[in-house]
Parts: sequence; structure tokens; C-alpha cells
Amino acid sequence: MTASAPSILSLVLLAPLAGALGLALLPAGASPAGLRRLSLAVLTAQLLLMVAVLFRFDPTTGQMQLLEQAAWLGALGLDYRLGVDGLSLPLLLINGILSLVAVAISPLSTPRPRSYFALLLLISGAVNGAFLAQNLLLFFLFYELELIPLWLLIAVWGGARRAYAATKFLIFTAVSGVLILVGFLGLALATGSLDFSINPELSQQLGLGTQLLLMGALLVGFGIKIPLFPFHSWLPDAHTEAPTPISVLLAGVLLKLGTYGLLRFCLSLFPQAWALLSPGLAGWAAVSVLFGSLAAIAQTDMKRMVAYSSVGHMGYVLLAAAAATPVSLLGSLLQMLAHGLTSGLMFLLVGVIYQTTGTRDLTVLRGLLNPQRGLPLTGALMILAAMASAGIPGMAGFVAELMVFRGSLLTFPLATLLSMVGSGLTAVYFLLLVNRAFFGRLATEPGRTPPALLPLAGLVKQAPAVVLAAAVVLMGLWPQGLANLAVASTSALGQPASGPFASMNVASANQAATSNFLLEDVRHGG
Amino acid sequence: MAAEGSSDSLSPLLQRLLGGVPLLAESPTHVLEVVGVLESYGEVLDAYSRNLIYQGEQQFLNPFPVFRFFNGDLNLGRLWRHLNHDRINFEYAEYCQKAMLWHGTGGLDAFLESERFAGICQQVVRLKQRHDPLLGLLSAVFPQFLPELIRSAATTHALGQFWRVMSDLFLDLARTHREGRITSIASIVEFVKMGLVAAAGLPIRYAVQLHGATVAILPEDAQLTFLMDVAVPYVEAVFLRGMPFLGTLSFNAQATQIPHDQGQFAYGALFADPLPTMGAGIPPSLLMQDMYRHLPPDLAAAYRSQGRGVVDIHVKICMSFQKAMFCVTNGAINGTMPHPLDDPDPRHQGANRDHCMGWLERLRQAQLTALPASGPETIRACHH
Repeated sequence: MTASAPSILSLVLLAPLAGALGLALLPAGASPAGLRRLSLAVLTAQLLLMVAVLFRFDPTTGQMQLLEQAAWLGALGLDYRLGVDGLSLPLLLINGILSLVAVAISPLSTPRPRSYFALLLLISGAVNGAFLAQNLLLFFLFYELELIPLWLLIAVWGGARRAYAATKFLIFTAVSGVLILVGFLGLALATGSLDFSINPELSQQLGLGTQLLLMGALLVGFGIKIPLFPFHSWLPDAHTEAPTPISVLLAGVLLKLGTYGLLRFCLSLFPQAWALLSPGLAGWAAVSVLFGSLAAIAQTDMKRMVAYSSVGHMGYVLLAAAAATPVSLLGSLLQMLAHGLTSGLMFLLVGVIYQTTGTRDLTVLRGLLNPQRGLPLTGALMILAAMASAGIPGMAGFVAELMVFRGSLLTFPLATLLSMVGSGLTAVYFLLLVNRAFFGRLATEPGRTPPALLPLAGLVKQAPAVVLAAAVVLMGLWPQGLANLAVASTSALGQPASGPFASMNVASANQAATSNFLLEDVRHGG
Repeated sequence: MAAEGSSDSLSPLLQRLLGGVPLLAESPTHVLEVVGVLESYGEVLDAYSRNLIYQGEQQFLNPFPVFRFFNGDLNLGRLWRHLNHDRINFEYAEYCQKAMLWHGTGGLDAFLESERFAGICQQVVRLKQRHDPLLGLLSAVFPQFLPELIRSAATTHALGQFWRVMSDLFLDLARTHREGRITSIASIVEFVKMGLVAAAGLPIRYAVQLHGATVAILPEDAQLTFLMDVAVPYVEAVFLRGMPFLGTLSFNAQATQIPHDQGQFAYGALFADPLPTMGAGIPPSLLMQDMYRHLPPDLAAAYRSQGRGVVDIHVKICMSFQKAMFCVTNGAINGTMPHPLDDPDPRHQGANRDHCMGWLERLRQAQLTALPASGPETIRACHH
């Protein structure tokens, strides 16, 4: 355990939670601008703390680092244990960035701003907690904690069908939570280890049948959250009705809790069961990819199209996790990050279009790339995001998809090839989106009354989108930065008994060798 | 039935024309827009006209007219400004000249296709074969090469002469407006009509100095005149027919989205969608850039206070330009009216009616939405 920085992870966790509490305690008449500035300040502090964690982090080892531990409700097995490794740190950082973006793009006209910003901060803190938690119950606590503010944000600040979407979201994710809790409780009962620590050594000693049963519960639980076909139907509705900043967070960060859970718990705790099921999981991934892509093609609502693309793109993560090769596991993390940035950017841009034109309907929108009266910057960034999502070289999606496919091809050739078709289909639906909404002539009012003049957002307002687009390109051009950070941890994931706490004192020479190989791989392939 | 119904949709405009009421609705904003944009257009036409006349006279049959936009004043500073795009877009003038040459209507084109003109071309070719080996060789290999270049040069010079008159007319209009003698759209249309009528009979002539000899390309005795031989073909080619602009809409010629008959083309200035202005490859963008450089301060201030301010100023100029061109077309319709509007003879009234209906049928698909009255608030209220 690292003693030099005993509290920094707690600070990362507590900063947004304290901010949320502070906002909630402010007088009701506080100005929306002031509330947003305060939220931005809290999230900037959170991001700076994350950067401090990054500087203290040692990327050469796959072990959990900066561990913090305190007794809490020991009788329940709920201990306060935090730690970070190469898998959780990048996800933590993307949460920091996207939370900041979500608050920055929240309009000042948002009703009940005090509650709104407090709930946003609460989500950010809960996600931090889930990524940092090193106790199964603690993870579950934060996993469930983020549901409530998210449900409220959709149900209160959402669109016309918000009640339906929020309820559907709640039901699906509550079932997900129940399954995960069942899995965790079952694991504790089966291993007899009631401290709910993440201990692969114990879980791997269970019989294969028990492992399959427990992992099955977790798999479906996280599969709903990701979401994978056929558990996906809550996502398009939630996205369609959620306000733009919430969609950014939902797509960019919250879905990643599911994929993180797959890698951290299903793969790490039950590698034998995982290996047994992996051909089926790869097939499931391919079906999810193809279904998501084909469903996206059929959409005429931009938000639903991007939402279905998420279903497809999360399939890549499952494929890579199923293959569980060092390259594919690194690819799965990069895919999470690439998707987080790209889909976050896309939802942000769709929000700008909706706010400006009053519609997201692809049968109505036309010519938005018009240089003078349309949304040229938004259009340009949307094209960039579409290219990144379709895996065009030079952008985040390319690196991630290349590593996913390369890492999975030899293990599951058919599923990988089918998923690659999905990658091609991504280009199809996003080109349809770009072609319909941005090219052609700018729509005029019905009856050919004077041509449209769209209100133009200033450059400052568009800065969050530009920052995300820059991050997409940076990750595409310099993937080594993230790969170096994560490779040791991701390659340790599929190793037997390589759980974070169990293996934290074992610096395997094998891992180092694999890391070197992978880094070379990224340098040449990425 | 369809024809009757469609005629009905034009009947308000027909009534306006026959009643001597301008097509463009009266409003102070329209007066500001039309006078202002015509003033800046006049400044730009002055530059275009000088350059076209320079090209016609000094760049005649130059096989490599690289510096044709410099009007003979080539120096490093000018070259830098040219490369830095600190200049008038003479390319737009060439675009209009090519439209006129390609559509080829009216008396000028008839003369360019005549035996008389073929003889003039032969005279030029003989001179060139004697003094210019390169052009002599080209002419021997491609006999129609030099005559086509000469036709192009003749159109260039004729357009230069036409724009000379129009530039002076528009600048006079602005001056008259400043003097308080122009206060309405009706008076603008009348001013333009009187200007066109006054210039109608001006001769169009063009001669070049070629190796010590003077050759009349458009000789005086061809009796080409301003209105019918150049102005009307210009309106036909640039205001009405035009060419499908690159980059605005995709036309599938194989699916007959572009008419086989050039006479049915409707891509001209009165039909163009102002919104794609400043899109790449769209010729009107060049004109709007040029007019932006010469906008009178009051109109520039009005534009800055509307819509996106300077950001969409080219679109606003284009919309105003379209209104101004409707006024010029209105002046041309009135100026070519067969009989006075107050003529009581029913046959004369019928002829006037046919004349107006013929024009309006051509304008059926034009941007007629530009015609109703609009104040600054209307332009500003065009939010989606």
C-alpha cells in the first residue's frame, strides 16, 4: 500500500460530492450563472486532483496503486477501500473531462439550476467512486448511487416523453443493479469471504458451475448497463429524452461503468468461466455490433442514431474482452475512451443543432454546413466526429478499433470479421447523417418565405466541442500516452489470480515483457 | 386548367406591371437596400468594365493572358495584393462574359455567327499567320480556334461597354438619391428605365490594333446597339438563364434535371438561392465579395445591425442584390413595353399584356419571395 499519498483518491471522490452538498445547501435564489461557475470550479478542482493522481501513478506496474483503506461498516463487509490502476485511471480522467464539459454546456436557462448542478456533481462523484472502489459492496453502492441523480435529471429536466424514458431507464438499471448485487452476494457466500474484497484468488477456486452462475448474473447485469443487444432498448429512449449535458455524460462515462464491470469483475474474478463462455460472448458482441449499426441506419432522429451507434460500438468492447488477449484488452480500454470522447462530442453537437434549429429530424434538417447562415463549425466538428467514430486513421476510433480487431482476429475470426462489417456500417449511417443534415441547401421556411437564419453560438460557447474534438485527434495521433498508462494493467486482467489486491506485490517479468511488446505494437500499428 | 391556375398566381404581378407599379414592394428598407447595393454594384461594374475593355483591346488573342487582370499596371505591390486577394474579382466578369457567349442570344450573337464576321476573322487570321507563328500554327491545325477566341474577345469588349453605361447609371442613381430626388422604388425603376431608354441606341463598336493595322471586329456599320444587341442578351444570359452553379445543388443531367433546351435554363441571378453565397466554387460569391468592399456606409451599418452582423453579410448583400436586379429587370420590361401603359387602344393594351405575361412566365420560378415588403425587423425575424 502506498503511504505517500494517503488521501488524494479520497479527495477525488469527495470533491464533487462535497460540491453537490454545498450547492444543495445554497439559498434557493442563487443565480444560475453563479451556480454554474461554482460547479465548474469544483469540477476543475476534481480534474486537477485527477491530474495529480496521474503524476503519482506508476504506469510500469499493473498493480493497484495509491491505495486507501478505512474500516467503515465492517459487519456488513462494506469497507472503504480505494485504489487506481491503468484501467480505472483513464476512465477516471474521462469522467473528469466530460463532467466539466457537461456543466460548461448546461444552459443558464435550465430550470431549478441549484438541484440540476448538484445532481450533476453527484453523478460525477458517484462515477469516481465506482471506478475507485476496491470493495464489491462499495462499487455497488456507487453504481447504484449514480442511478438516482441520473433518473432525476431525465425525469425532471428531460424532453416530452421524459417520464416514460426515465421509468424505463430506472427499471432496466434497477434490474441490472439487482443482478450485480446477487452476483456479489453469491460470490461472498460461495467463497466464504464476507469482507467483499476483490479477490480473484478466492473466486478462481470456485467450481466452474458456480463461477458460470455468478458470472452469468454479473454479465447480464453489466450487459444491461453497457447496453448490449437485447438489453439495449432503454438507451435510445433515455438519450432522446435526456438534456444534452446528460446525454454527454451518459454516453461518455456512465455506459463505461458496464464495460468496466465486465473487465474488472467478470473477466478478472472468473477467468476460467470467461474462457469457457468467450466464443458465445464474441458472437454476442458481433450480434450487438451488427444490430446497433443496422438499427442506427434506420433512425431519422439524430440522437437515436448516435444512441444506437453506442450499442454497436460497445459491442467492440465485449468482443475484445472475450478475446482477452493483451492487445485486445488494451484495445477494449482504448475503445471505451474513444467512444467516450466521440459519442460525447456527437451528443454535444446534436444538442447544439437541436437548440438552434428546434429539431433533430434528419428528414427535415438540410444544409447546416452553410458557411454564413448555417452552423459551419458544428458541421465541421460533426464530420470529424463521424470520421473518428467510423475509425478513420488519425483519430481516436482508428487506434481503438485497430487494436480490438487485431487483438481478436486470431481468437475469434468470424466474430471479428462481422464486427468489422459493423465498423463499415458506422461510416454508412454517419455519412447518411452528415449528408442529410449538413450538405445540400439550407432549409427555408415552409412556403419559401425568407431563407433561414440560424442563431449562431459564439466561439466561447463552442469551446467544449472544440476541446473534445482536439482530444479525439490527440488520442488518434498519440495513442502511446494512454497505452503506456494502461498497458500493464490491461494485460494483467486476463491472467489467473491477477486480481488487484492479490497480485499487488507481484511485479511480473512477464507483464513487463508483454507491455514492451504491446507498446511496440501501438507504436507500429496505432 | 393548370395553365389558367398558374397564370392566376402571377396575376398580382401582372396587375402591378400593367398598372405601372414596381414589382418590388415599396418600403424604406427596400429603397435603402436597392440604392445602396446598386451604388456598390456601380463601383464594381466600373472596375469590371475597365478591365473587360482593357482585355478586349490589349490582350486580344494573347495565348497566355496571365496578367490580364492588372490592366497593364504590373508591379510587385500589385502582384502581392492580387495574390493576397486584396483585389476585385475580375473572374466574375469573365463568368458573365462566358455565360453571354455560351447562351448566345440577340443581335450580337447573330452578328458573331454571320458571314461578315467570318470575313473579319479571316482578316485577323491572315495577319496573325504572318506575324505570330504559334497562333498561325494553332490556326492551321484548328481552324475554328482563332474565330472562337475572336468571338470571345468581341463579347468581352461588348460587355465592357454595356457595364460602362450601367456603372454610370447606378452611380448617378446613388447621387440622385443623395440629392433627395429618389425616394421610392417606383422612382428607382423609372430612373433605370429612363437610363436604359436613353442609352438604347448607343452604338456598340470594337476595333483592335493588330501589327500596325486597325481591324474593326464589331464595325460601326454592323449597327449593333446597346439595348437590343447587348443589354437584352445580357439579361437573358445572366439574369435569367445563367448556368448551374457548382456546389449549390447536384444536378443529374442524365436524369434530365438540367433542361436539354438552353432556353429553358433558369439558373440566373433572379433565380439563384442567396443562401449558399460564399460557398466554394459559386460565382456570385465573388461578386458579393467585391460589392462588400464598396458598400455605402449606411447600408453597411444596416447590415451589421441585422442577423449575424458581418458574418452573413454576403448573404444579405446577395438578397438585396436580387431585389435590385428585379428593379433593373422591371426597368427593362417597362423600357421595352410595346406601347405606353396609358394607351387606350385595346389592341395596344393586349400587346402590353402579352409582353408583360411573357416576362412573368420566365420569372415564374424566380426568387419572387424577395419582392414583398421587408423591413429590418423582417430580416432579423427570419430565425428558424
